[in-house]
Amino acid sequence: MTTTGTHSRLRAPRGVPLIDGVEKVTGRARYTADLEHAGALVGRLFRSPVSHGEILRLDVSRAAALPGVVAIVTGADCAHTYGVLPVAMNEFPMARDRVRYIGEPVAAVAAIDAVTAARALDLIEFEVRELPAYYNATDARAPDAALLHANKPGNVERAVHHAFGDVDAGFASSDLVREATIDCAEVNHAQMELHAALAEFDPLTGRLTMQSVSQVGFYLHLMLARCLQMDESNIRIITPFIGGGFGARVEVLNFEIVTALLARAAQGKVLMELTREECFLTHRGRPQTTTHLKLGMKKDGRMTACQAEVVQSGGAYAGYGIITILYAGALLQGLYDIPAVKYDGYRVYTNLPPCGAMRGHGAINVRHAFEVLLDRMARELGLDPFAVRRANLLKAPTRTPNDLMINSYGLGECLDRVERASGWRERLGKLPPGKGLGIACSHYVSGAAKPIHWTGEPDGVVNIKLDWDGGITALTGAADIGQGSSTMVAIAVAETLELPLDRVRVIAGDSAITPKDNGAYSSRITFQVGNAAIDAAKALKKILIDAAARKLSVSPDDIEYAGGTFRAARGEQPALPFDQVVKAALVDQGTITVKGTFTCPPEAQGGKHRGGAVGSTMGFSYTAQVVEVTVDEATGSVSVDQVWAALDCGHAINPLAVEGQIEGSAWMGMGQALSEETQYLKGLPGHASLLEYRFPTMAESPPIDVQIVESHDPRGPFGAKEAGQGALGAFAPAMVAAIANAIGVDVDQLPVTPDRLMDLLVERRRRARRDKLRGAKP
Amino acid sequence: MSLPLSPFRVLRPRDVEAALAARRDHSASRFLAGGTDLIVNLRRGIGNPGVLIDLNGIEELGGLTCSERGARIGTGVTLATLAADAAIRRHFAAVSEAAVAIAGAGHRNIATVGGNLCLDTRCIYYNQSEWWRRTNHYCLKAGGDTCHVAPQGQRCHAAFSGDLAPALLVFGAEIEIAGSAGRRRAPLADLYVEDGRAHLRLADDELVIAVHLPPNPARSAYAKCRVRRAMDFPLAGVAVALRADAGKLATLRVALTGTNSRPFLLEGTDALSGRPFDEAAAQQLEKLVQKQVQPMRTTLASSNYRRLVAAALARRLTTALTAEATASR
Repeated sequence: MTTTGTHSRLRAPRGVPLIDGVEKVTGRARYTADLEHAGALVGRLFRSPVSHGEILRLDVSRAAALPGVVAIVTGADCAHTYGVLPVAMNEFPMARDRVRYIGEPVAAVAAIDAVTAARALDLIEFEVRELPAYYNATDARAPDAALLHANKPGNVERAVHHAFGDVDAGFASSDLVREATIDCAEVNHAQMELHAALAEFDPLTGRLTMQSVSQVGFYLHLMLARCLQMDESNIRIITPFIGGGFGARVEVLNFEIVTALLARAAQGKVLMELTREECFLTHRGRPQTTTHLKLGMKKDGRMTACQAEVVQSGGAYAGYGIITILYAGALLQGLYDIPAVKYDGYRVYTNLPPCGAMRGHGAINVRHAFEVLLDRMARELGLDPFAVRRANLLKAPTRTPNDLMINSYGLGECLDRVERASGWRERLGKLPPGKGLGIACSHYVSGAAKPIHWTGEPDGVVNIKLDWDGGITALTGAADIGQGSSTMVAIAVAETLELPLDRVRVIAGDSAITPKDNGAYSSRITFQVGNAAIDAAKALKKILIDAAARKLSVSPDDIEYAGGTFRAARGEQPALPFDQVVKAALVDQGTITVKGTFTCPPEAQGGKHRGGAVGSTMGFSYTAQVVEVTVDEATGSVSVDQVWAALDCGHAINPLAVEGQIEGSAWMGMGQALSEETQYLKGLPGHASLLEYRFPTMAESPPIDVQIVESHDPRGPFGAKEAGQGALGAFAPAMVAAIANAIGVDVDQLPVTPDRLMDLLVERRRRARRDKLRGAKP
Repeated sequence: MSLPLSPFRVLRPRDVEAALAARRDHSASRFLAGGTDLIVNLRRGIGNPGVLIDLNGIEELGGLTCSERGARIGTGVTLATLAADAAIRRHFAAVSEAAVAIAGAGHRNIATVGGNLCLDTRCIYYNQSEWWRRTNHYCLKAGGDTCHVAPQGQRCHAAFSGDLAPALLVFGAEIEIAGSAGRRRAPLADLYVEDGRAHLRLADDELVIAVHLPPNPARSAYAKCRVRRAMDFPLAGVAVALRADAGKLATLRVALTGTNSRPFLLEGTDALSGRPFDEAAAQQLEKLVQKQVQPMRTTLASSNYRRLVAAALARRLTTALTAEATASR
């Protein structure tokens, strides 16, 4: 790894442990459910027992009469929808006239303890006139299907039709055109920390304090004000330690609003903790996706055209749906140089828990289909899978046909690195039976360049406070969800000021203290908040240099600053240590507060076409991944032996954290590839525990060789781009390619569970027998 | 959060007789050993015993002796202890391999032999929360009148999912049972009934206190199919014990779990002895397995897969053990 620019990693070349790591591993860290909740009532949700129905009667009087029940709220208590896009907020915190999936919140109780709350739920009377329910996109789109939402004909939440370049001409000029239909099952984030919220309403001041597991404190703030019809200034949002997000908490969730409604109704404090089953019902995971893909290719591997039809089964409400279906199309581009792309996407309503954003939002399943088909075509043309990708590399700086801005591009180096590290050339085709190698690539945005709610404000704001003690406190609204964003802010400030890391404290995620931040989504924090942190630190540095100049009676231009000491460039004056300059700076001023900002320029904000903002970003991360598998043909089981993953993150601000993110991404990709899926039994989640929702255990976890590639993005903080999501998408297609390499079976479905692979193996045996019989005949 | 458990009292008898007396005194009671199955079910509102009789303080249940003359395994022995026992590994390899394949290391440290043998049957419609099962109008096994796996049928198809039972069955294990009428021994195979709702032939006041294994000259192995290599219950589990001489099978015993409401010894394997275990014999064995297993949609994995993989594992283990036996000659 090389270090570029003037920013030396003085303190730790391999990076530093996360600044909150010790608290986490010693158990000292307080997550929402661990907070001081003496006197808090227990909140519980009453959930719909039917998939689709008109509410005829909801009677909570018997529950309300139960001693120990303090408050009950129902859909009648909140007539305001919440959601993500202002145009698509079609979900009430609790159902009002209609329920649309099993598990949808209908009412909620706050009681003195969990047993009383559970009893109260049993006393709620609920009558429904059932309506037809649809559990997949095909049924929901049938011509005579009942509508989940009256304003969405065909149960299509959003159809997207985009075309860039001349696709027909592209296919006509190609040597090989192939198609594939690839199905990816729905998956859930299955983050370790269960959902929880602690809301306290102060009846004397009329103020609400909300502590929650949210990745998006600001949006929670907005939605609480909207749904509770409160003045924003009377709400305070605090995000304590958060045990994983992956997109599960990237939109405001029904239970958060309900907890606040309960707290207000009870005029007090309510803690709502969800079970794992309820987390699965809350869902917002990656939708089941069917991708029909067509690619055109020249004999040398050069791609000529791409056409994709994508159908996402999105669940009962809009959530992030429109953005997901737009991402799926937009991110067909930006990885390779493709002259023509046509995209038709359909986001469909179904009577299942709503889908949402999940790590690699929108990109993963379409990328999977793309890489799988690319690999098959390379094979058919007799091309090496590396060669076919190298034939289609972009050249930065450039703009894609859909007007995405690309200023740095390290995919070529990623390919070189994993090719070498995996011993691809020496080993491919020489592995023992049942073993195979596969390779695939992926990319992801470093923050959406246009926020969901346009305000005209900067995309990132960081405040720094410097006081008499010489301590530097960086304040950010960005929630650290375990990805290391607070550590990133600390490093950005310390690096810029050339100070030891331990001089910087970070306070994150408290709306009363920290500047507003849009939240932990779309991998925006490093790029946007990191740049704002550098900007703030530079402002502070200027103040200190000015103070030193005054003290030394020289011009600020004559101050040389290095590692916390200030000296006059000319003359014999002794250097001033940091603490003396701080004291000098505070004279007449007192406590110093500076602000740094970052704003994505208009040229980064995507094309002019409808939905063009989605996918737009300051920069993409790039990944190449090689996966080695062993396939057991007798049982259909696939073992992942090793992974080689290279990620171009521009510049690794904290290499240790980047490494962790790459490993985590590959591992999460492995979960989706091997074993994770939701499976509903007539709308009930059959997968509602971590026994049935099978994310990999330690036994499945392979060694992951990580290569960090640094392409130095000209606008990234120290040249950095995102590192937390990009490496996910390459895993599954690389694994599917490795299976094909191992046993010659092409798999069109994810996850590749043993039963699915066994079906294909049985089918192949049958075909072989048939062919043999046919061949035996004259 | 975890849902609140219904309140219960815990009794801690010091010997088997006291445990049985406690059981007689409290009709709505359950024996508690490791609790890795029971407590999870109670937490889900399955059963409401009021009294749990903790067996962990009963010394008699804890013994494990094993030699070439056979073994006696107390039902209170933990799976971790069983898996780590060198003599068991030497003389009854299948038992060792089954024990180490159960759940996760943390479970094995507290889960017991008796608990695994008396494990409740499992089904995707049964091992769910109270809310889930109520929403689904319950099922034949608990509180309802329909089996959602086979709605036309009259019986519960929940699958027995213990790993130890097949590994013990192939050695002709016997169990020692204590009850009001005193102690009795019975073949382990007789403990099980093909009925997911009532799969144990054990009176309310009876307790399985030990497993007895006769001297074993056979080679043995256990294999388990599951999606993940830890935690998961078997989609199909197969134990094989055999003796082979000069490439020919002398005896062959195969037992299965995970596919039916009971673990069972495969019938008809005698037809394979006295012959080399060649392709024809392997196919014959696969057919026997495919015919006798009855996997139903009690898991999220397809039942046909469980049928096929049970047969494939039986073939694989038999092939490997035959080769091993031949090589060691």
